[in-house]
Amino acid sequence: MPYFQTWEEFARAAEKLYLTDPMKVRVVLKYRHCDGNLCVKVTDDAVCLQYKTDQAQDVKKIEKLHGKLMRLMVSKESGAMETD
Amino acid sequence: MVLLENDSFLTELTRLFQKCRTSGSVAITLKKYDGRTKPVPRKGHPENYEPADNKCLLRASDGKKKISTVISTKEVIKFQMAYSNLLRAHMDGLKKKDKKSKGKKTKATQ
Repeated sequence: MPYFQTWEEFARAAEKLYLTDPMKVRVVLKYRHCDGNLCVKVTDDAVCLQYKTDQAQDVKKIEKLHGKLMRLMVSKESGAMETD
Repeated sequence: MVLLENDSFLTELTRLFQKCRTSGSVAITLKKYDGRTKPVPRKGHPENYEPADNKCLLRASDGKKKISTVISTKEVIKFQMAYSNLLRAHMDGLKKKDKKSKGKKTKATQ
């Protein structure tokens, strides 16, 4: 399963995948403090997008994407992109 | 799988992160939830359930202990703030990026 090389590509693909079928897509976050890395996976059980990092600067980006998807999930249809 | 209130979930999630600092991983899963509490009925059976559109399910586990919570539109703002702070506070074991700084010696990792 391919790991994306850049955060931007991953974030765009993840949001696009979510918008194709919100009910099917899930986001998985796996953090290992002992190894010092963080993996994110977004999948609809057919397509799988992954991103892995050991950089502290990516934590904020990942946490923001997580929050964004969370807000998309709880908003009713016509969930356009909210500005932070 | 323990279903908790939003606040209890955050407390337990903090505990999971603290427990896993020396070994193990914390896995967090986020998914849109339509509020079903009964399984999907078989073909031919009437689906009596009206799916709700404004909830999501958040699960966390350290491999042994599992916790979960449901978040709806009313709670999301407050929850998301607390949740973001929690993530940022605990996911601090990652490498800080060393940009080329003026004359500061940085340790080269081999």
